[in-house]
Amino acid sequence: MPEGVQAIAYQRNIEVLVSKLRRRQIVGSRRAALETLLVLRQVVSKARFSNIEQLVEIIHSAGRRLVEAQPKEFSVGNTVRKVLHHIREEYRTAAKKAPEDTALSISKLVYQGQPRRRGVAPKSEMDVDLKEDDPDDPDSFARSLKPVLMEAIQDVFDELETVYDSISKSAKDHIHSDEIILTIGQSTTVESFLKAAAHYRNFTVIVAETGPSYRGHGMAQSLSEAGISTFLVPDSSIYAIMSRVSKVILGAHAIIANGGMFAVTGSLLAATAAQAHSAPVVVCAGQFKITPLWNLYQDYSALDFSDPSSVLGFEEGNLVDKVDVINPYYDYVRPDLVHAYITNDGDHPPTSIYRLIKETYNDEDIEL
Amino acid sequence: MGSEQPPQTSEQGQEPSQSFRSQKSMTKAERRELQEKQRATKAAAKASGSTGQANKPATKQPEGGGEKSSGKQSGKQGSGSGQSTQPQNQHQRRASRVSGVGGDITRPGGGPGANIASDLASRSINPRGVRIFSHFGLQHKSGAGKGLIHPAIVRLGLLFSDFQITGANARCLATLIAFKHVIQDYTTPQNNTLSRHLMTHLSAQISHLVAARPMSVTMGNAIRQLKLEISGVDIDLPEQDAKEALCGTIDSYIEERITAADQVIAQSAGLKIKDGDILLTYARSSVVEKALLRAHEEGKSFSVYVVDSRPMLEGKKLLTALSTAGIPCTYLLLPAIGSVIAEVSTVFIGAHSLHSNGAVHSRAGTALVSMMAKQHSIPVVVCCETYKISETVQLDSFTKNELGPLNGIFSTFPISIPRESLATENTTNLEILNPLYDLTPPKNITAVVTEVGIIPPTSIGTIHIALGRQIV
Repeated sequence: MPEGVQAIAYQRNIEVLVSKLRRRQIVGSRRAALETLLVLRQVVSKARFSNIEQLVEIIHSAGRRLVEAQPKEFSVGNTVRKVLHHIREEYRTAAKKAPEDTALSISKLVYQGQPRRRGVAPKSEMDVDLKEDDPDDPDSFARSLKPVLMEAIQDVFDELETVYDSISKSAKDHIHSDEIILTIGQSTTVESFLKAAAHYRNFTVIVAETGPSYRGHGMAQSLSEAGISTFLVPDSSIYAIMSRVSKVILGAHAIIANGGMFAVTGSLLAATAAQAHSAPVVVCAGQFKITPLWNLYQDYSALDFSDPSSVLGFEEGNLVDKVDVINPYYDYVRPDLVHAYITNDGDHPPTSIYRLIKETYNDEDIEL
Repeated sequence: MGSEQPPQTSEQGQEPSQSFRSQKSMTKAERRELQEKQRATKAAAKASGSTGQANKPATKQPEGGGEKSSGKQSGKQGSGSGQSTQPQNQHQRRASRVSGVGGDITRPGGGPGANIASDLASRSINPRGVRIFSHFGLQHKSGAGKGLIHPAIVRLGLLFSDFQITGANARCLATLIAFKHVIQDYTTPQNNTLSRHLMTHLSAQISHLVAARPMSVTMGNAIRQLKLEISGVDIDLPEQDAKEALCGTIDSYIEERITAADQVIAQSAGLKIKDGDILLTYARSSVVEKALLRAHEEGKSFSVYVVDSRPMLEGKKLLTALSTAGIPCTYLLLPAIGSVIAEVSTVFIGAHSLHSNGAVHSRAGTALVSMMAKQHSIPVVVCCETYKISETVQLDSFTKNELGPLNGIFSTFPISIPRESLATENTTNLEILNPLYDLTPPKNITAVVTEVGIIPPTSIGTIHIALGRQIV
């Protein structure tokens, strides 16, 4: 059997995705997560391994490659971690290894920080005989484990596919009648959340344009076409309008372990203005955006910059070589500015994000 | 039902276009009241089972005439859906509300489906937003004023309404200079005195300007001063002498309260700039521009972040002026301010007007900038002449504001953005608002630099007393 061929097959898949990420042909957390998952499925199905450590190492290296390609697209790494978590769970069930002592105790909570292992429904109900490192038939381990692994990946896939619907489920519990909601930019999650709420409630949405991409325009058009009464305002009037806004709903690029988040530029402005007017800030985001990363120092390195020509175009020819132009892609929003995260995994305060991370990912996978 | 509102009474026979026009002439509150009344009547008619009145075509209902977004909608729904005589059930109330909105689209059989449908229909009228933003109101350009309008004023009115002249100082200067022309070309009619008649003559000019764009506080203060001078003109003074005296007062007002004041402010603001400072300013204030240029001329080395935002993107002009003078500048849009604010040493902003509670009424976005600066404990310095001080108190940016139009300089988007993806005009359910001002609360302001010194915002109210009331 030509061993190299299969390896090359999935290596090529990885390289294709790497270059797409690098060229920013794939943007958006969910799309990146979906593409990552497709590649990981290829990797798992083609990989040759005879024990769990080998498999984990294969996925680790694939994940590392993808994350290095676009370190600011956090959902790639998160998806890899999540798949690894599922694989470990499946393996544990299949190998009938006793899960770690599940009894709760304070000391365990402190030492491990993992009070509740996310209950992955065991797929392997048939009694597979797992033989690790079988010298006679090195592929037997992979053969018997692969079907359950594929199912586990499919689970993650399904979760990603339905993420908007699951988030929108609780929409009507968060929005009351006649509310005035402010949002910025165009987040598909927020868009579907508001549209879902519009089935039950009558409310007004104010969309800030969010320069320099001005994606708020698309958002406003989409919402108004869905029958929601919408106002489009320039970013400059966020403060003026805020005194009448009853809730700010934002999207996120990544939610990080301290409860803060990275979100489209302008989120910090909106969240701060909301705080000044005591309006609650609600963030809608899929669970795949929860990232085991800390950002205690708000420095540039955490941000990403985009094209300055959308801020100061070349039509301003006399200025171009005289001035610097700053066009950051993301804002870091501190945890104290956010009141709630609405995810497909329930609603959470920023203070419990670290716990979700402990539950969702394995500690060993945090560093890919 | 409509006896109080004669134009709207004949609900049955009124042509829709007619009713639309008549409703336009009413105030929002009146229209609202009328709607409620009609709804109530409808509900009552329905409840009593009389279908005679309810069966008339929905398009004839004078409902929603003033609400742009609902006009089309109600017509469409009305023609598409027949009247359903809903049996009395728990949805009766809701259904009747919809019928008041424009066409009954309740389904026979009720149920949750009908519930949602009725909610959707009532949403399309966009009632909340229209009500809450209605007072912003756009100025109508029809400047067909009564009385003789001086050509200089007509020209100025056009420049104002087209936003060719913007900024509190520029508008006040332009107004005063135009008034000088008006006064010079003025002749007192027979059997009248200058001090009495010039006042009424000027009032017509002023209302023409106000029709073009709401009056700025600066203009208000200057005009009040001018009127005071006119009323004080000695009756026995020959007309030409009186006119020259008035023009002289205007000149000295400009000199004292604006030109010289700006120089003093630029000097005192310069005291707050040190070598190596990173300053931040928002949009474009003529005073801040002068202060920065002067500090640069004095040989101070500093760099400036110019923050800018739609709708006006005035910062580009400031950027041009500063970078041409050789000041190192960085340009960014308002949403990006969070990334740079921590490095800034002082924020300089201009003002449209100051209120006696210390609040600063300024270009929309200023409040956001000073809020962010306050968060990072960065001093916010407002540069403002004392003639911008208004004796009123303002509490938020919502109650008094001005909307910019949707076209012209207000469509200042970079060329790199495809035009077709932008929403540039109002459609059903979508309304575009361009508020021009916002109000910075005094807690976010560190100091106000005026020509009488650098004072805390809470002391704004005392300036009147210090300067003597009649000067302002």
